[in-house]
Amino acid sequence: MAKFAALFGFGAILLALPHALSFSQQEILVFLTINVLLVASYRLLTLTGEWSLGHVVIMGVGAYASALLSKRLGIYVPVAMLLGAVTAAMIALALSFPLFRMKGFYFLIGSFAAGEIIRLLWKRFRDPFGGPKGLKKIDPMPDFDIGIYAFDFFEPVSYYYFALAVVGVSLWVMWRIERSPVGLTFHAVHWQDRLAEASGVNVRAYRTLAFVLASGFAGLSGALLAHYIGTINPNSFDVEQMVFVLTWTIVGGTATFYGPILGCVVLTVLNEIVLREAGFEQMRPLIYGLILILSVLFMPKGLESLVRGAFSGRNARKNKAGETKAME
Amino acid sequence: MVAKMFKNVLTRRSLLGSGAAVAGSAAAAAILPRKAFAQDKVVKIGFLAPLTGPVAAWGKPGLDGCLIWGEWINAAGGINIGGEAHAVEFVAYDNEYDPAKARTGATKLIREDGVKFIMMLGGDTWPGAQPVADRTGMLFSTLLPSDLSPDTTTLIAPCEVHPIYNVTGVEWLADNMPELKTAVMCAQDDALGLPSVATYLAAFEAAGIEMQDDPLLFDPATTDFAPVVTRLISGNPDIVCLDTCYADYVHPICEQLFQQGYGGQVISCTADFYQQIVAKTSEEFMEGFVFQFPDFDDPALNDESINFQMPNEFYAAYASRYGADQWGAVSWEYASIMDLWKAGAEKAGSAEPDAVLAAMKEGGTGLHAFGEADWWGKDLFGIDNALVGNWPIVVIEGGKATIKEFRSIPEWYAKHGELLKKHMSAYGQMWDQRT
Repeated sequence: MAKFAALFGFGAILLALPHALSFSQQEILVFLTINVLLVASYRLLTLTGEWSLGHVVIMGVGAYASALLSKRLGIYVPVAMLLGAVTAAMIALALSFPLFRMKGFYFLIGSFAAGEIIRLLWKRFRDPFGGPKGLKKIDPMPDFDIGIYAFDFFEPVSYYYFALAVVGVSLWVMWRIERSPVGLTFHAVHWQDRLAEASGVNVRAYRTLAFVLASGFAGLSGALLAHYIGTINPNSFDVEQMVFVLTWTIVGGTATFYGPILGCVVLTVLNEIVLREAGFEQMRPLIYGLILILSVLFMPKGLESLVRGAFSGRNARKNKAGETKAME
Repeated sequence: MVAKMFKNVLTRRSLLGSGAAVAGSAAAAAILPRKAFAQDKVVKIGFLAPLTGPVAAWGKPGLDGCLIWGEWINAAGGINIGGEAHAVEFVAYDNEYDPAKARTGATKLIREDGVKFIMMLGGDTWPGAQPVADRTGMLFSTLLPSDLSPDTTTLIAPCEVHPIYNVTGVEWLADNMPELKTAVMCAQDDALGLPSVATYLAAFEAAGIEMQDDPLLFDPATTDFAPVVTRLISGNPDIVCLDTCYADYVHPICEQLFQQGYGGQVISCTADFYQQIVAKTSEEFMEGFVFQFPDFDDPALNDESINFQMPNEFYAAYASRYGADQWGAVSWEYASIMDLWKAGAEKAGSAEPDAVLAAMKEGGTGLHAFGEADWWGKDLFGIDNALVGNWPIVVIEGGKATIKEFRSIPEWYAKHGELLKKHMSAYGQMWDQRT
């Protein structure tokens, strides 16, 4: 009951949040929501122990596919977004054949190379990808009215609600996957791959499954981005963006579902709102870098360790109080 | 980078610079007509360009220049709009050359800060801001007219008609060094490099200079330029053209040309912070290097046809405040756009975007920094929103940038326009080819 109330309260806060923000902060909130899906999908991939440097490019595959399907074939934007996600998953499936011949560091480098090949293809083939300039005038999400609320998707508040719904459902699906026997097998593949293999688990198939699922959700986040800003180009999905995803993940921590999301939220708010508002516009890379170094030095288990510490402390106090009461 | 940041925060030079700025303001106040303005009359101008990251060299120096411009204008009484003097205030937003951040920045500047005009670098970032421009009718400027198209009615390119002015450098080279017969070119494969490649190809063809090979396009992520340069000079070309490479590429390419013993002619669109290149190579190697962006202490800018206000004093204030080696291609450009906007607002008697735009374009001509110019561009961009006239050809002599001549871009285009369209089409750079 308490959990349900907490969830309801959290949902109410998320719905009310944009109305407490300035226009530019609402814009940042939209991008933050999309990035939450990206970083959560990245964690799904890391469950099997593999870290990729091509995840942002896979996000781009979803963005390009969705943009082209709506622009060239006139497919309804929400359907194009789903097809974009499916395309990203299919590309990941194709890539999995060469990539999962490798493990660990070699997989990391292989994924980077595969991502760069995809980015070079976008640059090389002006038709249909638009070359280095990318695609412009991507169809926006069509406006609609549900009686109590008129969605104008140019406005960040409308798009935030739409993105929140999509991201919310996606996070729930990822959560269920992690809690299912499939998710437990992902963990087994990560920590005890030899033992899992000896128990009859097809390790490569599960790694591929995690890669494909994570890529599908990353592709969906790319589609959400493309139809909001209306333009994408190969540089939007370069290694610099990938470094941000890695940073959010590492600073947040990967032991819990919420760790990378926490990293993404805290670092985005810090970089895009706190430092800008504090007048450190041009000093941001310096301060951001400093905070990263300090957090890795003094919080090696990520921001999630603070949350876990706070909750375990509260639980310990509760247990102690319970024990004292029982003794009395 | 960290060192640069601290260097820009507080150094002996910056302290001395403050003194120079005060002196410059005093000079401006003495020279420019003075009017009193109430403190509450302020017109805000947005500056939406990369201030950090790899493209910051084409944003940050421009903001620095605008701050000097603003101080001078305010010291001289501000901008007279509708009979009332207004102080000018710049509000900057670092878009990191990212379209998503450009959208956020445009929203903030218009809906929160209430700016009346927004200056951008353009390129990859303009499509992010365009929906905001369309929805609000805000007047934007870009340094890259390849952003222009028939539906960008509130976007103007009033200063730099990149990359079309590059034709003047090649034409000057052909006229003054007719012995140069062959050329090679390299460029980063991106939205800035490709239209410039098409322009240089047209200019070389018009000048009768043969290209030894197809332009060598390298990935913007390239960091090792040794193999690029080795391949580039393997045929011993008379001219090496660096296209519109970012400063982060021009410097290492020049170093490699020097280290690999190239002794021919080098031409480039920009040579930002060229003093650093001279220091890394040699004065002899850089002698005769042709590019398109002058230092504003050049005496040639004191000619009466030049419309930029007090260019030598502006350069002195900039150099003393930020350092002469921090002067770059865009240090004066955004300030020059402000000169045009100020004239437009004063003429219109209003700071509203549509009124200022109409006043700026009235009569089809405008006072460009380097002389009177025409609002032009229908052929290439589908809209006459680019201000085109003369452009300087700059040569490094004795380690110092020197203006050799001003040449007319429209005159070149009248003779060779079809060539330019041919190469622009081949690279998919015409406005109707953009996806």
